[in-house]
Amino acid sequence: MADVIRIENLTKSYGKKRGVTDITLTVKEGEIFGFIGPNGAGKSTTIRSMLGFLNFDKGAITILGKDSVKEHVGILKEVGYMPSEALFYPTMKVSEVIKFAADARGLDCREEAEMLCERLQLDTGKRIKELSLGNRKKVSIVCAMQHKPKLFVFDEPSSGLDPLMQSTFFELIKEYVKKGATCFLSTHVLSEVSRYCDRAAIMREGRLIKVDMVDNLTESTAKSVKVTADGMHEEYMYNGDINELVKKLSERKLQNLYIEEPSLEDMFMHFYEGKEEVR
Amino acid sequence: MITVCGHELKLGFKTLLIWSLSVGIMGLLCILMYTSMEGEMADMAESFSKLGAFSDAFGMSTLSIATLGGFFATEVGTVHGLGSAMFAAITAAVILSKEEDGHTGEFLYSLPISRSSAVTGKALSVLINLVAFTIICGAFYVIGFVALGEDVLWKELLLFLVRMLLMNVEIAALALLLSACSQRNRMGMGLGLALIFYAYDVVGRAVPDAKDYLFIGPLSYANASEIFAGKEAPVAAFAVAAVVIAVAVAATYRVYLKKDLAS
Repeated sequence: MADVIRIENLTKSYGKKRGVTDITLTVKEGEIFGFIGPNGAGKSTTIRSMLGFLNFDKGAITILGKDSVKEHVGILKEVGYMPSEALFYPTMKVSEVIKFAADARGLDCREEAEMLCERLQLDTGKRIKELSLGNRKKVSIVCAMQHKPKLFVFDEPSSGLDPLMQSTFFELIKEYVKKGATCFLSTHVLSEVSRYCDRAAIMREGRLIKVDMVDNLTESTAKSVKVTADGMHEEYMYNGDINELVKKLSERKLQNLYIEEPSLEDMFMHFYEGKEEVR
Repeated sequence: MITVCGHELKLGFKTLLIWSLSVGIMGLLCILMYTSMEGEMADMAESFSKLGAFSDAFGMSTLSIATLGGFFATEVGTVHGLGSAMFAAITAAVILSKEEDGHTGEFLYSLPISRSSAVTGKALSVLINLVAFTIICGAFYVIGFVALGEDVLWKELLLFLVRMLLMNVEIAALALLLSACSQRNRMGMGLGLALIFYAYDVVGRAVPDAKDYLFIGPLSYANASEIFAGKEAPVAAFAVAAVVIAVAVAATYRVYLKKDLAS
């Protein structure tokens, strides 16, 4: 499968403030790729560099085979982007915003937009200033999807959407991906990554610390241990001989014990907290 | 570029109407006041022309306010000059920065629109608004002349409106650069810019030693009293205007194309 996104050694700083350092990753055609990290980890800087909002210091970004600097406009024609904030011109009507986005692409997207508005239950007659965050997110989804792009870039897409709409949103993504689109999904919601993504990357303090299949991220020899013994509760990851662990635990007065496969949340916290080793 | 321009014209339509109707109607009312004041105007004109620096500053030493042309130049010239300069400044000062200030930039610039097209479309919308503003106000002034049953001073009026438009474009070009450099709404700074140029012109005309440097300010070639008195504006003033407009627009593109857009 071809690389839809290829980022090589991306470095971007904001004066003395850190942005991202030496990011290298690829996203394959047809993938739903998760991009995880805490606030300030550099996820938005990476996305904003990809879309040309930021001029990066070093590295190269190729999207759909096009150079992100030289062929910036050509890339945007094929991309559907949903920013985390979903802010539009307050006095415009929803229908006007959707039409403006289609006109800027020189496309007639009425049929697709109508289908999306219907599925997302979006009232196109309202003005932007009358909308809640959730409804503004829906407008953003329609603007990102109505032109049936080859690549979706979503930044925190589900925040503000109710669970029913979140489900509809991910159904839509899966439908577009089935038809050949690729999806780059930046999120805090790890359950979304484990449920919908094929691969994921974890960012920490401006650096990419892990890229792997979602299954591999959780499928590790490490075990999540939750133990209540001698009146104390402990949670940790254990990566040694399981017999040693049982021997050590047997020396204590146990009240409760769970030894299980680590969840994506456990792995994320493990990477996020910067633990170099597990016990 | 056309889409962005149309979009901006739509968003700015209300502002255009409010400003052009306000300035145009104020100008019209000033013109209509002429008949009621015509009788007393001869004495007033005599007195006003002898107020020294004050008369110089407001053009009353150049032209008699007892005539309709002189009255128009003194009264409407001030209203239109100040009103149009403020409209030009506030329109251009927010046109680029509002995308970052209102956090709409991520939506706009995720569409396949290059930043240079966006700047061109937005600058074009400012220019169209300034032309529309001039036409609407000009129409009110013509209505005023016709309502008084006086001949329209077409030559002077058209020259006045064209020079005012050029002055507006010069101020708008500087405000556009201000907008490109900023991530916040700079409407206040835009207004300040217009008022500084107005004050510079008034003070420059009142202070004898400063008169030689008047040509630097954009209101120097748009002075209504001098236009209606048939005085030629200094060529240097037009040269400065051309350089200011060209440099400000070029700098706007350079700054805006290279800047990191705030989220």
